[in-house]
Amino acid sequence: MNDQPLDYSILPPDPGGARPTWDPSAAAAGLIATAVLALAIYSGSANLLHFDAALVGYTLATLFLAFGATYRLVTWSRSPAARRYLSKSRKALLPRPLGDGTLTASAREVTSTVLLQRFIAKRSRPRWLAHQGLFWGVILATLITFPLTFGWIHFRAVPGTGSGYYVYMMGVRAAHLDALSLLGWLTFHALDLASLLILSGGAYFLWHRWSTRGNSLTQLGRDLMPLLALMAISVTGLALTVSSVFMEGAWYQPLAFVHMCTVVLTLVWIPFGKFFHTLQRPAMAGVGLHKELGVQKGGVAQCVRCGEPVEGTIFLDDLKQTMGELGLGFGDWVETCPSCKRLERGAAYRNHVKEGYR
Amino acid sequence: MTKKALFIDPGRCIGCQACVAACRECDSHPGKSMIHLDYPDPGNSTAAAPTVCMHCSDPVAPCAQVCPTDAIPIDEQGIVGSASEELCIGCGNCVHACPFGVPKLDLVEMLQSKCDMCYDRTSQGKLPMCASVCPTDALFFGTQAELMQKRPGVQAVDIFGFGDETVRTNNAMVAPAGKNLDRIPGGYSREPDSRE
Ligand code: SF4
Ligand code: SF4
Repeated sequence: MNDQPLDYSILPPDPGGARPTWDPSAAAAGLIATAVLALAIYSGSANLLHFDAALVGYTLATLFLAFGATYRLVTWSRSPAARRYLSKSRKALLPRPLGDGTLTASAREVTSTVLLQRFIAKRSRPRWLAHQGLFWGVILATLITFPLTFGWIHFRAVPGTGSGYYVYMMGVRAAHLDALSLLGWLTFHALDLASLLILSGGAYFLWHRWSTRGNSLTQLGRDLMPLLALMAISVTGLALTVSSVFMEGAWYQPLAFVHMCTVVLTLVWIPFGKFFHTLQRPAMAGVGLHKELGVQKGGVAQCVRCGEPVEGTIFLDDLKQTMGELGLGFGDWVETCPSCKRLERGAAYRNHVKEGYR
Repeated sequence: MTKKALFIDPGRCIGCQACVAACRECDSHPGKSMIHLDYPDPGNSTAAAPTVCMHCSDPVAPCAQVCPTDAIPIDEQGIVGSASEELCIGCGNCVHACPFGVPKLDLVEMLQSKCDMCYDRTSQGKLPMCASVCPTDALFFGTQAELMQKRPGVQAVDIFGFGDETVRTNNAMVAPAGKNLDRIPGGYSREPDSRE
């Protein structure tokens, strides 16, 4: 280019499916997932007998979520790097013959990365605690509300008891519950507990955003909305409890509508924004284990220039293949460690560009 | 409008570490420096070479392309950001695929971070931290016209050669004006004996 002005305006689109074009086969996969869920709802609620028509908004949003999430997962998994690691992650986690320790290793890895998210604790303990609040709050709420809205679980009063309920799961009577017992109270207030978990975690993150200076490319906009959405769901959900327990149901209907709106908008948004990490990260949970096993099997490669360890041989071979598929023609350069890459470039500059700068 | 960029001239670098210290003060990664300052021939020469992210445009950000979780954001201007905390799984792909040796990986936090051209500053019209303190203008931030006006004896080159491949970047290197260069050698060659 030499004396041309630098031209920044023409950039190829984002790599890795960040701005995907319409993908018919991913859409087909999405439709299949939606149909399977619809079928499960239909049969699980005894052909909609136990389906509460007032909750249809939630159900429609969940069906859309099934479509959108599957669509995004399929388009994401098409990028060479994602595809390779998704399959390696799965292989690393799938227990091979029992007794060789892989089952415990997989269980340990999933517990540590997916359930306990220990990597966050290593970044910051308060942030980890707050994230655990959000995580378990959302898990609890999901486990309760999804089966309820789908009609998979329903309650029926035991005649003549006043506070006794039968719990039906998939149409089968599964348990008996006294609403006034501790277990009954916990069951009927589990969503309140979930809300409190989410609100305390969310409050920390809000405070953290507020008090941290700086605004990097990764934090812009997309961080705040999901947090506010979760908190709005929790606040309006708690308001429903307040209305029914302390206000004799005053404002219940309008509150229920607002609550549903917050939930529906959030569900519909999951495939597109920050929430998508809730699917991406678990899908990649085995990558750490894959790298560990790879080093055990293939050893560590040494930098071709300085001889220091670079990475696992298998890891580098994977990366070379990925780069090849992406058309990045300098795959062998990965055998040189990053520091030596810089030194080689510095030397080349001294020898060929500005000769003899000392 | 010609956009602003970092123009890097290792020949002017005196290895003073001011850029490294300034980078550490940046609000988006307090306490961590994203800049690499290397001494190609320590003991024999005082030569030093700063490395910042070049914000590759063609092929667009190899680091982001090899990322399995789309964790590395690229904005409309082609600025390539640090990995997103919620997406990065710390796999190291980007670290080794970057032809310039830029991204850093924190193995405890399992999180990549890299120079994002001080996005929080440059997006508001301020200088990147490194360029704001560099006493010799080895790191110069501005338009190419501004650079040429200040230093008529130079040219800016934004194409690098890695073996047979070229990588075009948003930031550029400074080279002497008369030099017939269609690319800056990236240091990588398939023939080991031509390595310097
Ligand atoms: S220089 Fe390296 S880190 Fe920067 S955009 Fe290019 S590949 Fe990514
Ligand atoms: S280390 Fe993080 S940012 Fe880099 S490629 Fe892996 S997941 Fe992506």
